[in-house]
Amino acid sequence: MKCEHAAEFIPDYLEGTLKPQDAERLEAHLESCAQCGKEIALARELTVLPTEEPSAALRTRFEAVLAAYEAGRRAGVARAQDAREPRAWTWNWFRSPALGFAAAAVLLVGGFLGGRYETNTNGPQSHDEVAALQGEVQGMRQLMVLSMLQEESASERLQGVSLSTREEQMDPKILTALLHTVRYDSSVDVRMAAIDALSRYGNHAQVRDGLAEALETNQSPLVQVQLIDLLVQLHDRNIIDQLHKIEQDTDVNPAVRERAQQAIAQLS
Amino acid sequence: MTTSLPDEEVMLMVRDGSAEMLGVLFERYEKPLFNFYVGLTKDRPASEDLVQEVFVRILKYRRSYKPGTNFRPWIYQIARNARADQMKKNVPHAEQTEAAEPMQAPANSLESDQQHAILRRALDELPEEKREILLLSRFQGLRYEEIAQMLGCQVGAVKVRVHRALQELREVFVRLERGAAQKSTAAGANYEM
Repeated sequence: MKCEHAAEFIPDYLEGTLKPQDAERLEAHLESCAQCGKEIALARELTVLPTEEPSAALRTRFEAVLAAYEAGRRAGVARAQDAREPRAWTWNWFRSPALGFAAAAVLLVGGFLGGRYETNTNGPQSHDEVAALQGEVQGMRQLMVLSMLQEESASERLQGVSLSTREEQMDPKILTALLHTVRYDSSVDVRMAAIDALSRYGNHAQVRDGLAEALETNQSPLVQVQLIDLLVQLHDRNIIDQLHKIEQDTDVNPAVRERAQQAIAQLS
Repeated sequence: MTTSLPDEEVMLMVRDGSAEMLGVLFERYEKPLFNFYVGLTKDRPASEDLVQEVFVRILKYRRSYKPGTNFRPWIYQIARNARADQMKKNVPHAEQTEAAEPMQAPANSLESDQQHAILRRALDELPEEKREILLLSRFQGLRYEEIAQMLGCQVGAVKVRVHRALQELREVFVRLERGAAQKSTAAGANYEM
């Protein structure tokens, strides 16, 4: 047997899947060929190279992320019950695979994380670690919110909207996603929840403009009225022309036209 | 009980909402993945970040896990992608730490430790692609079949790559070993494997 031929056998030989008669032929070759023998010896040596241990911090970080999931799951269920959703919905949320996903979205309250870290680590880097971990969990929550807003079920999208309100500072991506929800979501409930969530960010021009655009296109009277309410509250005088159009449009629901008329008075 | 479940069943539970079951998979894969990354990067902190990233990605993509999918190739696929994304973001850092890593075996270590150190160095000198296939097939113990699933190629192609990597490993090892023997005055420098 030549080395080229042996080369075909070596990988299977190492894995122990070479046919016995081929293995015999290979072994005969190995007795006279130091090079092929060395290859096999090194390959075997690779499997017993000493391994390294990761630091305990790796597990702690992982457990913190997992705990964020669990906390989020409980918060999600509690929230669903608080909101007095129909029972079937609550139950579906509980069973839904998306819920665990949602759960990750919840930021661990500083106290939980801080407390955990203070008991587990000491030394100067623990503050950085807490900060890094909080950043990580927060990043994950944003991710979860964004993903939940894409869900097929309205209840899950609703959940995503309510999770988004837990951020102290709204991520621009989430703002954009919520504005998209206000304009295009098929469910009136979800649209209204998104408007609520956005109401805290009325100081952003992007939010006011987005809400005004939504007012232009939205067909649901409930949503229209809510949008007008919010824009009046934000003293957005740019919408006065738009309000005039609504007030004069006979296709628009009378209640909405009436609200538009009031709004014009409020803003003028 | 749960610890005897196959990875695939545990992953299905994670997928279907039992996020806490991810702890079982973490238990099983934390160390192998960490060593896989250390083998690739020589950078412990970066390796820990990558392991964490793998588990975050599992949560993120868990619904893409389909019943019947072999779990090991799946998680290593995620691991490779995480590494590739990190390289795109942070190439200079990775190179820096690689260069800073001390590669010499301690002079007074046992013979087998020295041989391991030389083998490590030889592995480190291989191009990443070859190093990776050896880490996966030898160090991580993935079957060729699993690697082929992961890389999306034929099993035969995997075997060819394994063998080419082994050839190069031998060449580098022999070169390094000669270098070490020349430097060393120790009588035991001739090593028979």
